[in-house]
Amino acid sequence: MSKAVLVDVTKCYGCGACTVACKLWNGKKYDDAKKPTVGEKAQLTDINWTVVSKHQVPDASGKTVWRFAKKQCLHCEEPACASSCLVGALRKTEEGPVVYYPDLCVGCRYCMIACPFGIPKYEWDKSFPEVSKCQMCSSRLAKNEVPACVSVCPNGVMKFGDSDQILKDARATIASDKRYIKHIYGEKEAGGTAWMYISDQPFEKLAFKTAVKNQSLPEYTWKIINKIPAALVVWGGILTGVYMITNRRNAVKSSKNNENKGGKS
Amino acid sequence: MEKSDGKTGTVSRRTFLKGVTGAGLTGAVAALTGCKSTGKPAGGTGWTPQQYNVPENWPVQVRGRVPIDTENPSIVRDDKKCILCGQCIEACSKVQSVQGYYELPIKDDITCVNCGQCSLWCPTAAISERDDVDKVIAALKDKNLHVIVQTAPATRVAVGEEFGMPPGSIIEGKMVAALKKMGFDGVFDTNFTADLTIMEEGTELVTRVKNALAGGHGGGEGGHHAPMALPQFTSCSPGWVKFCEYFYPDLLDHMSTCKSPQQMLGALAKTYYAKKKRIDPVKIVSVSIMPCTAKKFEAARPEMNSAGIKNGNAKMIDVDYALTTRELAKMMKIFQIDLTALKDQRYDNIMGEGTGAAVIFGTTGGVMEAAIRSGYFLLTGQNPPELLFNLEPVRGLQGVKKAALNVPGVGELRVAISHGLGNARVLLDQLRDDKKNHREPRFHFIEFMSCPGGCIGGGGQPRTALPPSDAVRQARLDSLYTMDAKIYKKRLSHENKEVQQIYTEFLGKPNSKLAHELLHTKYTDRGSHLTAKKKA
Repeated sequence: MSKAVLVDVTKCYGCGACTVACKLWNGKKYDDAKKPTVGEKAQLTDINWTVVSKHQVPDASGKTVWRFAKKQCLHCEEPACASSCLVGALRKTEEGPVVYYPDLCVGCRYCMIACPFGIPKYEWDKSFPEVSKCQMCSSRLAKNEVPACVSVCPNGVMKFGDSDQILKDARATIASDKRYIKHIYGEKEAGGTAWMYISDQPFEKLAFKTAVKNQSLPEYTWKIINKIPAALVVWGGILTGVYMITNRRNAVKSSKNNENKGGKS
Repeated sequence: MEKSDGKTGTVSRRTFLKGVTGAGLTGAVAALTGCKSTGKPAGGTGWTPQQYNVPENWPVQVRGRVPIDTENPSIVRDDKKCILCGQCIEACSKVQSVQGYYELPIKDDITCVNCGQCSLWCPTAAISERDDVDKVIAALKDKNLHVIVQTAPATRVAVGEEFGMPPGSIIEGKMVAALKKMGFDGVFDTNFTADLTIMEEGTELVTRVKNALAGGHGGGEGGHHAPMALPQFTSCSPGWVKFCEYFYPDLLDHMSTCKSPQQMLGALAKTYYAKKKRIDPVKIVSVSIMPCTAKKFEAARPEMNSAGIKNGNAKMIDVDYALTTRELAKMMKIFQIDLTALKDQRYDNIMGEGTGAAVIFGTTGGVMEAAIRSGYFLLTGQNPPELLFNLEPVRGLQGVKKAALNVPGVGELRVAISHGLGNARVLLDQLRDDKKNHREPRFHFIEFMSCPGGCIGGGGQPRTALPPSDAVRQARLDSLYTMDAKIYKKRLSHENKEVQQIYTEFLGKPNSKLAHELLHTKYTDRGSHLTAKKKA
């Protein structure tokens, strides 16, 4: 059964415990000066698999309020990164995580271009760099444990469970409480993702990519790619036909020439 | 192998087949030995504390941590040292009743009263005070500046712990000697302004009580409006003040308008002291040594620039740097001063005298006891009876304490004391309820201290190996009472000679116009920055 996480942006007070849990569990380095994990300058980087970005937004009455949005890989149902990977170093698992296997990676970084959310990062500082992104704690999920970030949240911002149930909960929450905007980010984006968000603020104001199409990218390219075998057969047929016709034409031409030469001599 | 005699590009059939077979074999071996396996997925090489490594979404004892704004003037956190043990939440929520006492979503502020209890509980010191030691050392090195320092009552029974002495060691004289050795141009005692606070706050209380006895709603002196609500709250503890501003802004009329002793001394250093010593106030750098992290916040409050306004420079603040007891110990170590080996020295005059009444400001119940001693004098014109010098009901570590005493000509004076903000709520909720139901106030005067035990248990005090404990608090508290009873010659604030001197030479009398300008303040309703929970 595929797992999912629902993030309720309204419950986050920005303590950043999730970002510390991620660093502890995944052995990632800290660089508060250049790569902060919480605040207005927080960005996903090679060492920040998850961050809590701070946004000052107007509330219903126009007063400025602070909102914190926890960001990480969304773990698409049909990940473009995995479909673009030439060597199978990125794979979607049955439990939901999109997992990266560094031993297989050749460093082409197609995944970074393919991802509609700009998630995979590259370890530019290293001599033998790898692609770097959230694994949704696949090894914890294998033990039926929740991702590290989810496990440490003091406010229950993140809810972990079976994706059907999570989606049901999300719908119920936004329907029952009028503060929430009527949009579950991640329900449809890029064909649906394992991480979903509900919020009282429009997602573009929390720096979510809202221009992402609902269709998954692999599905989009598949429409063309799946026609390639047929196209090859047809194209081959056409070329063979052309070859045969020109061959025949040449044969006729040369025999005529021989006849003409013979007639003159 | 055949050579091609300079003719490139010719390979014999045999060589070609050998090459192809070799490559094929290498490929097959590589595939069989593991190139085909995926290897390990990235991540998952670290650890998280045990409570987080359990199946599914079960509740756990402690989870996560408190939020700390990167702009917080009092405390900072180093994520590298955070192990998500959850102790900061225990302190903030269970002891101080702050975290978890406001609704989510938050508004435009990360609610923090700056008390720093989390920094005492944090086992890895990931949370610590915002370190201002370097700035103070830089000021000391600048020969153009006149750097003065004041030390709070509670630091003199705690800083010794940082040098291996047992909790509660009384090292006042040595601490003064160390500060002089570091090069401070004036070493003053916050006890002096604690005594001054008693004069101001006591006078304010007497005014409020007399006003209530007269049944009226009068204003204060000098034409300015002074709140008359009873009970009067003490205002020395900046964590408590901010707590009240956040969660009980409707009760701010009860808050004494007196600044804390730290801020009083800061305001006087750049006016009274500057004038008497003929020093340009611009050149004075005012440093305080406090058992407290909230004092950093208090010093940075925008309205704490009375001396600046008096000197025509609103940007000049009264207290430039507030250091914690821990920072003082660190500074001594930077200067390679062995505190324990120093000979005792005395505070400098004209702001260096303190009484036993002032030194007990550092413990829960101390401000109350000091206020009662001098309040008795202010109300009756006579010094209090012996009983009031050992007012047992207001002493000790019980969370909420109550006492009543008869004052001739006034009647029964009822007082209450709480320490630790969780305990403050008991008295505050009761008062709210009484006001709603138009009941007479139960008390005339309430002392609130932010931290358990009062300042001796403050968030800027030395850390202990165990979570902050009553054993350590009791040792420090006992020492302050020892100093009051046995060491200090005077035990009444109004008998402080330097306090009497400042009134005759500078301020006039308690609650005068100048006293109000320099020693009193106003408060900010912070209720709009959070949604306080109705019942947590």
